[in-house]
Amino acid sequence: MTVKQFVRSEAFKCIVVLLAIALVAGGLLAILNDVLAVSAEERTMRAIESVYGQELKYEALEYDSAQLSNQYGSIDQVYLLENDAYMLRSTGGDGYKNGTVTMWVILTPSDDGFDVYKVVTEEYAKQTLMSQFGNSFYAVYTAHNDELADGDVWFTTDASGIQNVQAGATMSSRAINNAVNCALYFARNVLAGGEV
Amino acid sequence: MTGQRFKQISFDGLLRNNPTFRLVLGTCPTLALSTAAFNGIGMGLAVTFILICSNVLISLLRKAIPNAVRIPAFVIIIATFVTIVRMVLDKFIPSLYESMGVYLPLIVVNCIILGRAESFASKNKVLDSAMDGLFTGLGFTCALTLLGIIREVLGSGAIFGYQLWDFRIGFFSSSAGAFFVYGVCIALFNHIYSKAENKLRSKNFAARIMQKPDIGDPQSELAEQAEAEDAVSAQTPAEDAANAAVHDNGGKA
Repeated sequence: MTVKQFVRSEAFKCIVVLLAIALVAGGLLAILNDVLAVSAEERTMRAIESVYGQELKYEALEYDSAQLSNQYGSIDQVYLLENDAYMLRSTGGDGYKNGTVTMWVILTPSDDGFDVYKVVTEEYAKQTLMSQFGNSFYAVYTAHNDELADGDVWFTTDASGIQNVQAGATMSSRAINNAVNCALYFARNVLAGGEV
Repeated sequence: MTGQRFKQISFDGLLRNNPTFRLVLGTCPTLALSTAAFNGIGMGLAVTFILICSNVLISLLRKAIPNAVRIPAFVIIIATFVTIVRMVLDKFIPSLYESMGVYLPLIVVNCIILGRAESFASKNKVLDSAMDGLFTGLGFTCALTLLGIIREVLGSGAIFGYQLWDFRIGFFSSSAGAFFVYGVCIALFNHIYSKAENKLRSKNFAARIMQKPDIGDPQSELAEQAEAEDAVSAQTPAEDAANAAVHDNGGKA
């Protein structure tokens, strides 16, 4: 087949039409993405609203990358809210299919260290049963602040710590625990003035 | 578009070929998102918007898209509009965006949208296709909202988020409850639809007999009418859909 024959063929027309549609669609989406993209600040404010039901001023805190990661996962962002609570965007690993779960963990300073005020799901990767985690599961994290004051207590999916297991989704449960533990570890070792 | 054509397209989309209750299409989001009426309306309107836009664009491009690549082309067009809806919802209605979860991107492979693109929009004019998208989408929206209201009232004791009473039956919020309510609604819808259609046909038939100057044997006419009614009641929604598809194609099977 010569080039001229190919250009006049039905196959060429198919390629051109598909490419044209894909290009126009891609261009349109690129423009709309610029207009409609949700900024990190907006997402943070949404998270604050979902926790407190209102907007609060916040200040972003900067830390070294070495301080932001530990054996449980990594801290993506740290905010100090105007009510003196810390809001940490924490990602826990070892979930289902080695996926991750990212949580907003709100910690309030107390006489004994830090209390978990609230835990909110932000996003997750490769987890398929996240819909099983409801308020009753997340309530466990705020119900053990007295034990957490010990400073060496963690949430686990076995009986070695504060047991927190969701039947049928134990691996996702482990990733959520890791995210919360990651935030607690950061608070105990960095926010409290210690060094990692 | 003539008034008769408009009437036919709207009747098809809302009732005769209702995608949820008659054609049993889009079952996955129907079962998953009908836990609350608000979710049902949100999903329905999102699908309606995508149906209208994709139908219009596919109808406009129907002569330019080669037959061999029509399905990939339709999927690209539908995926574009789904992405736009995702962006808009994430920006302006984040709560609905989160509650729709994975079912929002899955609209790309929703058989209602692909079905209307393939059987209607790629063979009809732009205005007809837009109307078809609108009424098919509204039929889907109404069905999802109805299911959502029933499940929310019985399962959560609320309607559109407003608490009515403390009494609730958890079964209706579960997956099994979704199948149960959906099945009951399909049965009721088809029963009422068949009754209404038979009544209408009998009425039309009677009117025709009254208009005929030379009436034959009344007994044989009545027997003919009974046969016609039997045939209508024996017709399944699938047969109706097949007939509708033939009709959509301008009489070509």
